[in-house]
This record gives sequence, structure tokens and C-alpha cells, in this order.
Amino acid sequence: VKLLAVGVDHRSAPTAIREALAFEGPRRREGLDALKSAFPGHEFVVLSTCNRVEVYVASDSSARVPEVADLATWLAAFHTIEATILAGHLVAHHDEAVVGHLFRVAASLESLVLGEGQILGQVRDAYHLAQAQGAVGPILHPLFQNALRVGKKVREETGMDRGKLSVASVAVDVARDVFDTFRDKAVLVIGAGKMGDLTLQHLSELRPGQILITNRNPERARAAADKWKGRAVPFERLDDALIEADLVVSTTAADEPIVSYQRYASVQKKRRNRLALILDIAVPRDFDPNVGDLDQVLLYNVDDLRAQVERNLAGRRKGIDPAQAIVERETVACLADLRHQHHAGALLRQLGDYADAVRVREQEALYARLGHLSEADREAIAHTLRRLQNQFLHHPRTALRTAATSPAPIGQAHPLLSAVRHLFGLGDEPTSRTGKDHR
Amino acid sequence: MVGRLTVLCFAGTYALALLSDLARFVVRSSVRWYVTVGLTALGWIVHTVYLAQLARVGGELPVTTIFESLLLLAWILAAIDLYLVVRSPRTAAVGVFLLPVVLTLVTVAGLWAPRTNSAGSGTVGPTYFWGMVHGIFLLLGAVSTFVAFVAGLMYLAQSHRLKHKRPSRLGFSLPSLENSERWNRGAITLAFPLLSIGLAIGMGLILAHARRGGRELPWTDPKVLFTGVLWLFFALLLHARYRPEMRGRSVMILTILATAFLAFTWVGVDMLFPTVHGAPKATIERPSPPAGRLP
Repeated sequence: VKLLAVGVDHRSAPTAIREALAFEGPRRREGLDALKSAFPGHEFVVLSTCNRVEVYVASDSSARVPEVADLATWLAAFHTIEATILAGHLVAHHDEAVVGHLFRVAASLESLVLGEGQILGQVRDAYHLAQAQGAVGPILHPLFQNALRVGKKVREETGMDRGKLSVASVAVDVARDVFDTFRDKAVLVIGAGKMGDLTLQHLSELRPGQILITNRNPERARAAADKWKGRAVPFERLDDALIEADLVVSTTAADEPIVSYQRYASVQKKRRNRLALILDIAVPRDFDPNVGDLDQVLLYNVDDLRAQVERNLAGRRKGIDPAQAIVERETVACLADLRHQHHAGALLRQLGDYADAVRVREQEALYARLGHLSEADREAIAHTLRRLQNQFLHHPRTALRTAATSPAPIGQAHPLLSAVRHLFGLGDEPTSRTGKDHR
Repeated sequence: MVGRLTVLCFAGTYALALLSDLARFVVRSSVRWYVTVGLTALGWIVHTVYLAQLARVGGELPVTTIFESLLLLAWILAAIDLYLVVRSPRTAAVGVFLLPVVLTLVTVAGLWAPRTNSAGSGTVGPTYFWGMVHGIFLLLGAVSTFVAFVAGLMYLAQSHRLKHKRPSRLGFSLPSLENSERWNRGAITLAFPLLSIGLAIGMGLILAHARRGGRELPWTDPKVLFTGVLWLFFALLLHARYRPEMRGRSVMILTILATAFLAFTWVGVDMLFPTVHGAPKATIERPSPPAGRLP
């Protein structure tokens, strides 16, 4: 089995190179078709994301296997760019190293944002597309299925994809812990600046029933309200808006808190003590911190949200070692399986060839001794010998096929394969090449 | 003794299921979820078979003694737990809150387990029928109350975490505050009429007994008195539930107190005070009160 992964990522190439090599939309399908035409008899998967473009190649044939230079030339030609541009940016992984690399990619250990959740879906899409295009076969099928399983396992067992890494997205998580549905909720944004806009961008994914925007400058409030299909509220009517709102995002540039404890306590009474979440992301703060002591009121300021981001990041970092351990363990097991399946297939072919050779040799010797045999007799003898051979080999072949699909013992040959080799005198098992290089 | 051993058998399975559920804090593998569901389902199946056997031998719904009612209540709560865990495996750690309740109910029921098989009261007729209806309504009211109790616990845990800006623990997610509050409100709203109907039927039965000159349950019986207080407590809880100033934490704490009082009225009164309510069937022996407790 020959495996090769060639490509660029956020570490090896600048954005311009990654953009030039990206397979966007229909170009992915075209790329797979072009690869199949250029290198027939091989298996391919093309993984193309914002931070990574990689071509995975596998081959079981004795035909010429594409080298890194061949793929570099093909990539440059396909994207109509100068091949020299890629010099020093392409990273290649060979054979066994491809398995570990793919597993690390699927587990998000190679991502720009550690533990990001999108990469697993992108690996899945790349595999499914290659499958639909008939570009994957007996090597890349199990390899990618294993990669998807490992990616899922790493996320489940380490929680590396857990917790958001931006203040705005953490705010969304907090909102989800407080409210169940947002269709019947009103979101009030105090201040129509960049931060409010960014937070609203994230909060809009919750599809709130109503968005209210207030600002000292009514024009800016109206502009923001138009953008987010909300309602502008005069700043003088802030209390009315606070009474109406379930979720408040405050982002003004005021020097002093604009909502005191007493003011919000009175608002909360008029709200009939409904659950309220206040995200005070203004610096200095817009809400008196004591407002958070009110029953049914949850107040988060920007430091609380940042602290949460830091904790999430630390949590993800804590997951690196366990994730790497899982990847290493699974790589070893997958390699053992791949090697084992390959050896079992080769052994089946070898056994068939060996039996054919013995049968033909004995058949020819028999024909030489019995020269008087008619053509019909010779055909009958040949047929009987073939049947005899098939009957003798039926059970060993069945056992080998069963052994090929069972998990391989790590670090050693399957005992049945070794026994068959030994019993039939079929020689030792082959070895593989491994490694990573930069071109 | 056989009854007690059988109860111990499924109580043990629920205990293992709870341990497996608590292992969520250290074991991240999805296998843990299957083990928890498998053990809960196994305990619930044995529990079901045992209740069916009780019903078959007694020839009536198993709601006529404290032992049977506690087991039936635990059985319904275990079914709710199974349903919630299977329907939405990743949403919330419901089992961490519900399974201890189930386990406690089964353990307390074990203390009241009969030492011989019951052959039923043998009583038929309208009094028997209304007695069963009385038991069923009270049982359903108790189910609603315990659901409200668990929702209240989850609300308080989530509220405490959010108020103190603590991150949620990996593998231990809780329902949103709004969701817990909705469950609590719905369950209390349902519990009050169910308990009220059950208690009204109970009072009707006392009056009917008195009119026929049968075994009389005096109005001064501790069970009757505590039940009256319980009804007032629930009326107060329902009132508080719809008072704006009592929303959130206060109502949850009140729910927990109401549940504790319900449990005391149901089981504790029988252990601590002399009462003629729910006199045991002829062939069932009441458990000997533990040393130091009032007869």
C-alpha cells in the first residue's frame, strides 16, 4: 500500500497561496475527475478548507505511484499558477505518516483554532464527495472512516471542541443556558457601536422574537434597527425598553453606569420579576454590578465573558495530551489493520499463485508420462486437478478472508497469516516506508 | 423477606445506574451512556415484573399500602428518567437528579416491604373502588410533585452556576433556567388538583365509613391533620408560583420544602405517630419501627 498526502496549511503557506490552491464549489468535483484522469488506478480525496488544501493519494497497484513533484505540477497546472510559487510551501506525508496526519487533522489538532468543530464536517464532506465521484477504494475508504471515528472520539472524550473562544459567542452560550426559546423574547441593545453590532450578529442566530435598539444618537439607533430588522427606541425611553427586554446587551461609551441598582430594581418589579439576562460588555460598565444580586437577574460583564473565554481555551489546551494519546493509539491500530488487510490480500494472491504453479507443474509432468491421452482426457484431468486445488484451498482461503476482516494484533503479524506462510513456504512479510517532508 | 430481597435487587441495579451516570464527571466515552441506560432499563424491567407480580397476587392495583405506592412512584419516576435520557441523551444530566430520588424511594419502600405474600384485601364494592381512586390520585399528585422537585433542584444548580459565573462541567449539562422553571410550574400546577381530588375522595371515604358505622378514621388522626396542612402548603405553593415576587429561586426552595413535607406526611407520619389510616392488609406485617422511634 502506498499513501501520500500533499498540500498546504496555515503554517506552511500564506493566505494567498492557500487561496490560489483552494478547490471551491464545482472545482472540487472537477479536481477529483482531473486527478483520476491524470493518475489512473489510484484513489484520491481532496480536502479544501480556509486553512488547508490537501490531496490524499493511495495506491495498491504496481503501476507508477505519483510522486510529490508530480502532484505539485498537477496542482499548479489545475489552478493555472506557476509551479515555482509553491516551492517551500508544500508539505508531504508518506505512507504511515499519512494516517497519523489525517487523524490529527480530523481531531482538530492541526487546526488554526484548536478544537474547532468545522474540520470534522469538512473531512466528512471531502470523503463523501470523493466517494460519489468514485475516487476512493479499499484503502481510502477505511482510512477516512477511521479518521471520522477518531475525530468524533477525540471530541467526545476530551471535550476539545467545547466552549466558545470569542466574547460574543460565549455570550450566546450564556443566553442558551438561561433561555430555552428566543422566539418569544425581546433583545435590547443599548449603544449602536461596533461591539453591539458584533454581539447582535451572534445573537441573531438565536432568532429572537424582537430586537430593540437604543442609542443617544437616534440616527445611529435607526440605522442599526434597519440593519437588524429591529425597532429603534428613543434613549429617553430606556426604562420602557428594559421592561420589555429579556436579554439586554449594553455597549455604550458612557463614563458612568447608566443603570443603577435602584433603577433596575424598579424595572424588574415592573417586569413582574421575569428572568432577565444582562450582558454588559461596555468599558466602563453601564450597569451597577449589584444589579446581578437581584433575583431572576443574571448580569455578565465583559470581564466575566473574557474569563469564560480563557477558561474555554485552557480547557481545550488541557485536552491536547489526551487527544494526542487517542490519535497515536488509533493510528497504530489503523496501521496494523491496513497492513494486515494488505498482507492478507497479498497472501491470498500468493497462495493462489503457488497452488497454480504446483498444479500446472504436476499436470504437465503427468501429460508427459501419459503421452497417449486424448485432448478430452487432458481437459478432464486438468478440470479435476483445478477442482481438487480449489477444494484443498477452500478452507485456508475462507480462514484468511475472515482473518483479514478481524482486528490485527498490533506490532506483530496475525498468527493465521504467519501459519499459512510457514505451512506453504511463502516467505516473509513485506515492510513499508514512512515520513514527512517539505518541498 | 423475599419481597425485600427483590426490592434490594432492583435498588442495586438503580444504584449501579446512578454510579454509572455520576461517572460522567470522569468518563467521557459514549459507552458510559449505554451502560447507564442499560442498567436503568434492567432495574426498571425487574421493577415492572415485581409490581406486576404484586398486582397479580393482590388482585388489585399496587397502590393500597405505603410499600406499594412508594414502589409505584419510583417506577413512574424511573420511566420518566429513561424516557428523558433516551429521547435527548446529550441535553441534560437528568439522571444525576432523578435516579437518587428513585433510589431513595425504593430504599424507603424496602423498609416497608411485606415479609409474606399478600393475598389482597378481598374487599369489593364502592368503598374499595373509591379507595383505589383515592390512592391513584395521590400517587399521580406525588409524581408531579417529585417532577417539580427535580426541576427545582436543576434550576437551583444552574442558577447557582450562572450567578457565580462558573463554567459548565464537561459532560454535565443542565437544562436552561427557563426550561427548569417551565417544568416546575407545569408540575406544581398539575400536582395541586391531583392531590386535592385525592384528598377530597379520602374525606368522602371517612364520611362514608362514619355513616355506615365502619372502621372510623377520626378527624384528629395525625395522618388527617398533617394531610390538611399539606394541602394548605400546596395551595400556598401554587399561589406563590403565580406571584411575580416569588418567581425563581424562592419558588424552587418552596417546592423542595413542599416535597419534603409530602414525603413526611406520606411515610414519616406513619412511622412517628399512631394512625389508623391505611391499616395494613391482614396478611402484611408492618415493619417493626427502628429502635428509638415512636411506635
